[in-house]
Amino acid sequence: MTPTLLGRLQTRLLLFLTVGVVLTFPFAIAIDGPFFSILFWIMILGFFWDCLYTFIQKFRWDRDWPAAYQVIAGIWEAFFLLSIIVSFGLYGSDFGDFSVFWFTVHYSTVWLGIFIASQVLMRLLFPRWRFRGGRWF
Amino acid sequence: MPTPPQTIQLSWTDPTTQEPREPLLTLPVTFGRFLDQMPAIIQGQPVSRMVLLHPRVSRYHALIEWVNGRPVLTDQNTSNGTFVNGARQQRCELAVGDRIQLGEVIIQVQQIPNAQSSPSSTSSAPTSYSAETIYPGVSPASAPPPLNEPRPTPQALSARSTPQPSFPPATFWESQVVSIQALTQSGYFTPGQDEVSYAALGAGLGSYIWIDYLRIGGVKPYQIIALGTQDKPYAKYKQLCLNSQIPLHERLRSNSDSCPDNIWGWPSYAIRESWRAFQKGDVPTSIGLMWQVFAEPTFAETYTPRADNVFDSIDREARRIGWPDIYRYGSIRCVRKTDDGRYAIAYSKGSGEYGYVVAKYVHLATGYPGIRFLKHLQDYRDRHQDAKSVVNAYERHDHVYEHLIQHGGKVVVQGRGIVASRILQRLDEVRRTSRQNVEVIHLMRSPKRFNEGNRYGQAQRLVKNNWEFQPFNWPKACWGGDLRDVLENASPEERKKLLKDWGGTTTADRKDWQELVTRGLEQKWYRLLFGCVQSVCSKICNLQVGYGEVGAAGIQQFTQEANFIVDATGLSAAVTENPLLKDLIERYQLPLIDKKSLQVSNEFEMTALTSADTLSRQAPGRMYAAGVTTLGGPYAAVDSFLGLQYSALRSVQHLAEINAEGLKPLSVTRSFSQWLRWVNNQTP
Repeated sequence: MTPTLLGRLQTRLLLFLTVGVVLTFPFAIAIDGPFFSILFWIMILGFFWDCLYTFIQKFRWDRDWPAAYQVIAGIWEAFFLLSIIVSFGLYGSDFGDFSVFWFTVHYSTVWLGIFIASQVLMRLLFPRWRFRGGRWF
Repeated sequence: MPTPPQTIQLSWTDPTTQEPREPLLTLPVTFGRFLDQMPAIIQGQPVSRMVLLHPRVSRYHALIEWVNGRPVLTDQNTSNGTFVNGARQQRCELAVGDRIQLGEVIIQVQQIPNAQSSPSSTSSAPTSYSAETIYPGVSPASAPPPLNEPRPTPQALSARSTPQPSFPPATFWESQVVSIQALTQSGYFTPGQDEVSYAALGAGLGSYIWIDYLRIGGVKPYQIIALGTQDKPYAKYKQLCLNSQIPLHERLRSNSDSCPDNIWGWPSYAIRESWRAFQKGDVPTSIGLMWQVFAEPTFAETYTPRADNVFDSIDREARRIGWPDIYRYGSIRCVRKTDDGRYAIAYSKGSGEYGYVVAKYVHLATGYPGIRFLKHLQDYRDRHQDAKSVVNAYERHDHVYEHLIQHGGKVVVQGRGIVASRILQRLDEVRRTSRQNVEVIHLMRSPKRFNEGNRYGQAQRLVKNNWEFQPFNWPKACWGGDLRDVLENASPEERKKLLKDWGGTTTADRKDWQELVTRGLEQKWYRLLFGCVQSVCSKICNLQVGYGEVGAAGIQQFTQEANFIVDATGLSAAVTENPLLKDLIERYQLPLIDKKSLQVSNEFEMTALTSADTLSRQAPGRMYAAGVTTLGGPYAAVDSFLGLQYSALRSVQHLAEINAEGLKPLSVTRSFSQWLRWVNNQTP
C-alpha cells in the first residue's frame, strides 16, 4: 500500500482506537503505569510524524513507503517519545513510577499489532483501502 | 443498385501473432508465404492476398476463385499440399463449414454470402431479408469493404435471387437500436438461454477479474456470460509472456500483492511462495523471500511472482467462481443497444453458426488492439515479405534463437524497456549454452545520462548505464497512492502531461541484467550503439542495417550487418485497429482520447453507450471498459493485474450503487466472509 496523508491519518486513528486500545488493556490492568496516556501521545505525535513522512515520500520517485521505512519510523517515534518523557514528562500524566522496560514492551506490542493489522486486517475488511492510499471512509 | 460481391468469410489463427482472424474477403483470394509471390490481379480482378507466415506454407499456396456461382479452391502444385476436411485436394468446391489445411494452418469456411445453393452447403440460416438490404452492410467489422465492383456475371445475378444473409444482417449493422422482437424472430436468439444480466466481452484477464468481483458481490454464474475465443482467461497474456521470452519459471514484472486470483491482495504471492518453501523445509529461501518484500525496493530487489505460480492461482480461482459455466466460445462481431435498454451482442460460434446474447450490463476488455512495429521495420517486412529476419519481441520468434543455437550470428535489439532486458537475457543464455558466437548490437535512440531521468515534483527517476529504472511500468503511487488521486482529479490536458511525466520506457533494477551488460561489454559480444535505424535491406543471408547517430557533427551514417532485428519497443496500437471497437466508435460517435483510447468515466463507464429503455422505462443498461483501451483516462496503470482489479472494483461498485441484479455492496462483513470462503476454496 502506498499511503497518502489523509490515508495515514485515518488509518492511524482507526488502528490506535481499536487495536491499540485492545492491546493496551492488559498492560493497564496488570502493571501500574500510564499506558493509556502513552498510547494517546503516540497517536497525537504520530499525526505530526505523518505529515513529515508524506513530505519525505515526495522525494521518492515511486512515492511509496516501504515496510522497512515503517519499522525505522516506529523505532524513531519510540525513541523521540521516550526522550520527551524522560526529560520533561508528559502533560496530564503521572510518570512517578515510569519504567523504560515496560514502556518498550508495551510500545513494541502495540506497534507490532498495528503493523500486522495494517498489512493484513485492513485489506480483508476494507477492499478499497489499498487503492485509496489508506483512507477507510 | 450495387452488384453483390463474390465474397467468402474465412477464419483462422494467424501463425505469427496467434491472433484469431475472421475476414470477409472478396474473391479471388490467394494464400501464401510471400505477398509478392502471389498474383495481384487475376482476370482483371484485384486479388485478396493473404500472407500466412508458416514454414510449411508455400510462397504461393492456394487460390480460391468464383466458378459457376460457387467458390473453388485450387492448390498451386505445392509440395506439402492442400487438404479439405482431411483429404488432399488439387481442386475442389468449397461449402460453409469446410476445413482447409495449408501446412499446419487450419482455415474454416464461415460463410459464402452469395453462393448458389449447393447440396454440400451446411448453412441453413433462416432468411427474411431482401438482397438489397444485405449487400451494402456486409461485415464491415472484419474486412475492409470490397475495393472492386465485380462485373455483373450471370452467377452473381442468379446469386441475388437466392440470398443467404451474412451475420448479423445489414439491418442489425446499420441500426443504432435494435428491437428485441426482431432478434427473437431471427432464430439466432433464444430468450432465457441467451439472456443474462452481465456480459464480459473478451474473456481474457480483464473479463475474468471483473467477473471475480461480480461473483464475490453475490451474482450467480447463470447471470453472467464471458464471450471470447480462448477458454483460459490468461491464454493471450501467457502467449505474450512466452513470446517476449518470459518462460513459465521466470518472474513477471508485477507486485507481490497484485494477485489476479485474490481481490484483497492477501496472502500475497511472496507470502505464499515463502510458505511453500517453508513447508518443503527450505527455510533460508522462505526467510529470504519475506526479507525481500519487507525491504524492497530500497534494501532489496523488488519481489516479483513466478509466471507459473500466477497462472496456477488463476486456474484455482477460475474454478472456484465457476468460470467454465460462465465462459462461452464466440468471436464477437458487433454490439448494439436494444429497445428495452440492454445490449445485443452478435457473435460467431465457429463452424458457420451464429448467435446473439442480450445483456443489461456489458464489460469490454478486449486487450491490446494490435502489435506496433517501428516504421522502418514495418516497411522492410512489407517490402520483402520477410517476417523471419525482422521480428517484434511480442510475436512468436523462437526461430531466431533456434538459428543462433545452430549457427551463431548477429542480432540487433532495439528498445530499452523491460522486454529488451528479457531478450538480452535470452540471447545471453543461448550464447552460453550453445557456445556459439552470438553477437548483440543494442541500438538505443540516444544516450541517457544519470541526470536525464524523468522528473516529477521533487523526484527524479534513476538512470544507470543509459537505462531508466522503475520497479513497475508506472511509479508505484499510481496504483493507490497520491498519484492516483492527482490523475483522477486532473483535466484531460493535465492528464496527458502527467502520463508523459510518469510514463516512458523503463526496466527493472535487476542485478543479473546489469551484470549481463557489464560482462557483455567486457567480452565484446555486446555492443551498445546510439542511433535510429534508417534503412534495412536484404543481402544474401544478412540484413544491412543503416542507422544514423546524432552527434556534434550532425547525423552520421553507419551500417551494420546482422542476421536478425528484434524490435522490443512496444505493443501499443490505437483502439480503432480492433474491428469491434472501430464499429462501436463509428456507430455511436464515441469520444476518444487522442484518437487512441476509449473515454471512460472515473467508474470506467462509457457513458455515451448508456442504453435507454424505450419500452417500459426501466433503468438503463450500462457499458464499461477496462484495460489498455482506456489508457489516458482516470487511471494510469490500466494494463496491470492490480489496475484491472482497480477498474473492476470501481465499475462493480458503481453497478452495486445502481442496484444491478443480484449484486450486493462489498461491505466489511461481506468482504471478510468472502475472504474466508476464498481461503477454504468454497464457491463465493
